[in-house]
Amino acid sequence: MLLVSYEFAAFLILLLAVYYLVPVRFRWMLLLAASYLFYLTGGMFYVLYPLITTVTTWFLARRIGAVTRESKAYIKAQGMDREQKKEYNRQVKKRQCRLMQLGLVLNFGILAVLKYANFVLENMGILLGAAGIEGVVPSVGWILPLGISYYTFQSMGYLIDVYYRKYEPEENLAKFALFVSFFPQVTAGPISRFDQLKEQLFAPHEWDFCQVKRGAERMLWGYFKKLVIADRIGPAVAMIIIDPGTYDGIYVFLGMVGYTIWMYADFAGGIDIVIGAAQMFGIRLPENFDRPFFSKSLGEFWRRWHMSLMLWLREYIFFPVSMSRFTRRMSELVQKHFGKKAGMKVPVYVGSIVVWLTAGIWHGASWRFVAWGMANCIVMLISQELVGCYRAYHKKFAFTNHPRYRYFEIVRTFLLFACLEMFEYYSFKNVFVMFGNLVTTASLSQLWDGRFVQLGLDAADCGIAAFGILLMFVVSLSQRSGSVREKLERYSLPVQYAAFFGMFLIVLVAGVYGHGYDASQFVYNQF
Amino acid sequence: MKKKIWITLLLLLMGSGVILAGIQRLLIPKYMGQVVEGAFIHEYYQEDTPHDVLFLGDCEVYENISPVTLWREYGITSYIRGSAQQLIAQSYYLLEDTLRYETPKAVVFNVSAMQQYEQENETYNRMTMDGMKWSSSKWNAIRATAMEDEHMIEYIFPLLRFHSRFKELEADDLTYYFSPGKVSHNGYYMRADVRPAGDFPTERRRADYSFDPRAWEYLERMRLLCEEKGITLVLMKAPSLYPTWYEQWDSQIAAYAQEKGLVYINGISRIEDIGIDFSQDTYDGGLHMNVYGAEKLSRYFGSILQEIPGVEDRRNDKALAAVWEEKGQFYDTKKAEQEAEFAELGYISQFYSGE
Repeated sequence: MLLVSYEFAAFLILLLAVYYLVPVRFRWMLLLAASYLFYLTGGMFYVLYPLITTVTTWFLARRIGAVTRESKAYIKAQGMDREQKKEYNRQVKKRQCRLMQLGLVLNFGILAVLKYANFVLENMGILLGAAGIEGVVPSVGWILPLGISYYTFQSMGYLIDVYYRKYEPEENLAKFALFVSFFPQVTAGPISRFDQLKEQLFAPHEWDFCQVKRGAERMLWGYFKKLVIADRIGPAVAMIIIDPGTYDGIYVFLGMVGYTIWMYADFAGGIDIVIGAAQMFGIRLPENFDRPFFSKSLGEFWRRWHMSLMLWLREYIFFPVSMSRFTRRMSELVQKHFGKKAGMKVPVYVGSIVVWLTAGIWHGASWRFVAWGMANCIVMLISQELVGCYRAYHKKFAFTNHPRYRYFEIVRTFLLFACLEMFEYYSFKNVFVMFGNLVTTASLSQLWDGRFVQLGLDAADCGIAAFGILLMFVVSLSQRSGSVREKLERYSLPVQYAAFFGMFLIVLVAGVYGHGYDASQFVYNQF
Repeated sequence: MKKKIWITLLLLLMGSGVILAGIQRLLIPKYMGQVVEGAFIHEYYQEDTPHDVLFLGDCEVYENISPVTLWREYGITSYIRGSAQQLIAQSYYLLEDTLRYETPKAVVFNVSAMQQYEQENETYNRMTMDGMKWSSSKWNAIRATAMEDEHMIEYIFPLLRFHSRFKELEADDLTYYFSPGKVSHNGYYMRADVRPAGDFPTERRRADYSFDPRAWEYLERMRLLCEEKGITLVLMKAPSLYPTWYEQWDSQIAAYAQEKGLVYINGISRIEDIGIDFSQDTYDGGLHMNVYGAEKLSRYFGSILQEIPGVEDRRNDKALAAVWEEKGQFYDTKKAEQEAEFAELGYISQFYSGE
């Protein structure tokens, strides 16, 4: 069931009605049933994999918790001295680590096999082909369960947190199952932490008109981004980026900017729908975007874009890898040969490389995404190395303190991000070729040479897209001083209603949907 | 205070409903230009006199039978409930729908629809079913014939289907905003231009000549419904050159008609008797008849219809005669306009796409 479908709208309305009719204590159970029903609409297989992840993670986390409790009781009963306690705890931690590793291997294994088997097989085929052995590597056509990356990352985050004793494991399997499968967020995230979501999911949510209204408003805004902007410019952007032979020069720039805006409108729109749908049930999901296009550096951008994934990568990849025994040894080795300063940088470098490699692979089973991740990593590490230079530059030139310079930084970050996105859609070689082409041949007159017309955007489409992007920008600007929805609530009911209904009409009439619409899935659904 | 809020909300909701209905009315196609077929089905509801004969079927009916000729020649009152690529299931539900308003003495069903049970183009479905008034018949017609990517909700709220027409709005959308114009002559689509029949692709043999069982099922349901209401069901196959109406199909229909005691008239085998001249009586190279062909077929067919019990010459009914006089005038005016335009330009501008 797609978030942009009549079925989803009917499902949500019906569920909402039943949700607020059943007794409060049964509401989380209803959400669990609805979440599994949501999965079932995709087929039986869609349920199987999240079920395996749910049961194994819940069981292993409980075992880890039980081992902690048993060990504490044992230590108390045995009256161990400090050294004995230390040794015993080391043994306990080792046992718990094995349980956690089992969960990680099993669940990341499922993810790896389902999502990356073809990528591995394809590359094996290429290697064997180079060795003269051809046609021996098959490809597989396994079904990728909806949101497998999201629920796997979320569940594994939970398992690691329980291992590090950040919180107690959940005793109730059904409650844990809801945490893994909560239907709005399985489609596009955000990746939530159990301690964040627990209270939200299982708290007795009473009917709250304000919450339902705000949820509906948030959803509407999401549909606006998705249907009016993303799905309108999406096909044109796709034409530009898949055909660099035809669309060169100024179109490379148009593709870069268009792709970036399309991706934001699609992904952020999807997240708005998810967060809005959850809010209607009284559940506040964590935010995934914090107006990323107002960032002044790439580092800041990545702290404000897909925040839940970046947070996950930082907590569960960057820190463990940076502090791992392997990294420590490498750091010592580098320190010995190249000095203390260089050695100190090793954990950051190793952690960053692993994080960006994971981010790249997470985004897609293709070398393009690996290249994209590495390109981001290189830019981030270079930026870090140049921090001293930046400081000196800012100190020396007073104009860098002027607000206009902030605008320059914002535009620069946007363009840098857009450039790096080229690694996602062009081949590695083409990124440089097309960038060179842009710099050397781009001219505004190319917009009138007939190629733009072929993109399928007529004057009305261009006007609507421009209006949509402008509105998105104005709303983002306005969000600097707080929630737009809350600001709107200061006005009278008819004014609020007029704003809501006006937006509804825009989506209804100017949205790209209905017959002939490729019910295009959200770009981040495929994860 | 709370009461005031609820009243305000209610008023706002009502206002929204009016605005939405207004926008929907503006955006749904009016079918008053080059493509008029989508307006036929709904026009039926403007009728205020009953009909003895109801024709059901696709273009082979609404382009080949002239109810005005039937009236003038035989005093038969008739109406065509046909639309482009109208499926047999849709014809069945249109019969059900018609029976809600009147009970004709005879129903003539053109059997060419037997050859294709499923719709191939959503536009045709919309042209047929959007025009039906809401009833269980419309609901069932949609359920039976909607294509895979069609949704009931888009029929309930056509705005969801036609929302993107805001880019194609024309003067017609405003002209016919409140009330649609009249484009048919009791369901008949008049064309007074002439384009002689040309060559058609060679007849191809088929692996399987059997009709879809679901098409048979609807034909049988149609027969039973007519039987239940005391209506004579007549099966016809309009005279045509193309697409091919295979002998194997014909014999199946003939066998069915014989078994059930129905009249089946295959116009193809009677082209000479009817007097159709495909160099003069077609407007699109032999696929469909023009007004001259339709009038010939109606004259021929009327003589068969007048034999059906209950189908009487009603020309002595003054009230009816007055109504049909008006219809005749409208018919003659339109025919004369088209003839004049065709004589002058060589085409009829309303239907001319410039290709």
